[in-house]
Amino acid sequence: MSAPVLSVRDARRHYASGDTIVRALDGVSLDMRAGEVVGIMGPSGSGKSTLLLIAGLLEPPTSGEVLIRGERVSAPDAELDGLRDFRRRNIGFVFQKANLIPFLTAAENVALALEIDDVPARPALAYAEHLLDSVDLGHRMGNLPARLSGGEQQRVAVARALANDPALILADEPTAALDSVRGRQVIGLFREIADTRRAAVAVVTHDPRVLDLFDRTLELRDGRIVAETVA
Amino acid sequence: MNLALKDVRHNFGRFLMTVAGVAFLVTASIGMIGLYRGIVADALLVIDRIGADLWVVQGGRAGPFSESSAISSDMDRRVEGVDGAAGVRRFVQISQQFEHEGRTLRASLTGLDYPRDTGAWVPLVSGRHLANGHFEAIADASVGLVLGDVVRLGLDDFTIVGVTRGMVDISGDGLLFVTVNDAMAVAQRRTSEEVLLARGASGRATSGSGSSVAQDSKIAAVLVTLDPAADEAAVRRAILAWGDANVLSRADQRNLLLDQRLWRLRIQILAFTGVLLVVMAIVISLIIYMLTQEKRHQIAMLKLIGARNGVIVGMISVQAYLIGAGGLVLGLGLSNLIFPFFPRRVVIDPGDIVLLALAIAVISGFASLLGISRALKVRAQEVLS
Repeated sequence: MSAPVLSVRDARRHYASGDTIVRALDGVSLDMRAGEVVGIMGPSGSGKSTLLLIAGLLEPPTSGEVLIRGERVSAPDAELDGLRDFRRRNIGFVFQKANLIPFLTAAENVALALEIDDVPARPALAYAEHLLDSVDLGHRMGNLPARLSGGEQQRVAVARALANDPALILADEPTAALDSVRGRQVIGLFREIADTRRAAVAVVTHDPRVLDLFDRTLELRDGRIVAETVA
Repeated sequence: MNLALKDVRHNFGRFLMTVAGVAFLVTASIGMIGLYRGIVADALLVIDRIGADLWVVQGGRAGPFSESSAISSDMDRRVEGVDGAAGVRRFVQISQQFEHEGRTLRASLTGLDYPRDTGAWVPLVSGRHLANGHFEAIADASVGLVLGDVVRLGLDDFTIVGVTRGMVDISGDGLLFVTVNDAMAVAQRRTSEEVLLARGASGRATSGSGSSVAQDSKIAAVLVTLDPAADEAAVRRAILAWGDANVLSRADQRNLLLDQRLWRLRIQILAFTGVLLVVMAIVISLIIYMLTQEKRHQIAMLKLIGARNGVIVGMISVQAYLIGAGGLVLGLGLSNLIFPFFPRRVVIDPGDIVLLALAIAVISGFASLLGISRALKVRAQEVLS
């Protein structure tokens, strides 16, 4: 069996808040393999977003480590700013808000992720259009974000996350701002991406109506994984 | 793709307003510098164009532009006899206010020593130079007279036979050229009451000059054109030896004006220009800082998707330079449109514009540094906030 795309080993994240220590993440271990879609659930403050930040190399763990494709990339002493290039090539992000650049068209928003990775402008735009086609937005590629619906914006964000063909996609409540139909479409898109591109996808969500689309669901509480459900 | 240009195109109205604000500051700077250049150009106009090698003025004085000067009316005959003097002309210049068609006009009445000087050195836009010894005048357009106008100066009527443009004195009054004799007649005009009062006070009859009031000579200087083979120092020594005259070269006159009479103005304008540049630096810095603050979320997103700092620095600095360059171009355009209508000459010197462009480049660089330092502190995870 190949190495997991993502391995989080005994990750802890503690914050000092006055005299007390807040244990946002308290010894979480997790492996995700290629083609797997994992749902992460739990109440507010349970550590879901902190787990995503640590797995996404945006915050270092207080203790523990993060391996991506078997390479140890983050630990308490990690210099995360130096991992920008690694992050760009290996991880795609999707958030509750699409966070599109408002002065770029849908296609340009996607192409930007490629141009940042030194892909020349013309092929970057051509590939961006291909990606938008694949998320059924071929007809909207010239539109600015302000002219797109919430669901369409989120699909552009998904296309942008796919631009560098990352092995790992991390999504933090990507359906929270969408109605149930569009929310299910977006999670369905992740399912398709995992199946066709062999990416590992972690989705933090509160929406129980999409649980059937996950291979596994982890439940977090007080910074720990308290339950794991396999579909 | 150029993010700065895309942003500018997307928010073009805001960009235009920002550029307009900077352009007005640039216009004010160009105006301040141009006003100074204009005053200097006006002040040097006569000195540079009249074609005199030496100015013989009142002894112990540095006239007639930096100090008043009055020399005897026969000084030109004495100077003419000095070895090396090829030509001499009397020079007189007095400020004059007069009525014309119900308007009060001002002019700097400047005497031409006709027939030796018909005003051939005065560039005309219409009409001709002086052709008679009396009652003809060449007026600058800024005086408010046109060709053919008849204007009363003193007790006589003068016909405008030629019109110039841009010929003014240091205070901005248009030059009105008449013969030296006519200029003196205008300057020496007294009311009959003045004459009677003076007669009563002195108890003696007036001479044929028409006034019993003590009359200082109105001749301010004698202009000397040197023989090409003449020794300027020898001519100078000969005249200085008389004791009642001082000799200034053209360079002396320029230095007296620029380094003494106008130096306070130079410092003042330099100080104002400095203040304007500081204000411009603060305004552009604040604009760029606020634009950066506004883009924090986008900058966080760029960092999240792995953009190098160069992409973010480029976006901010290109925008700062676009604002600076746009402000300079628009400010220069506005200056060329507006300043010709100003009452005083505003000279837009290409060298000054180059220096201003360099100053704006430095200001834009400084302004973008402020924004860049803010942008580099943005953390990728702020995209979640």
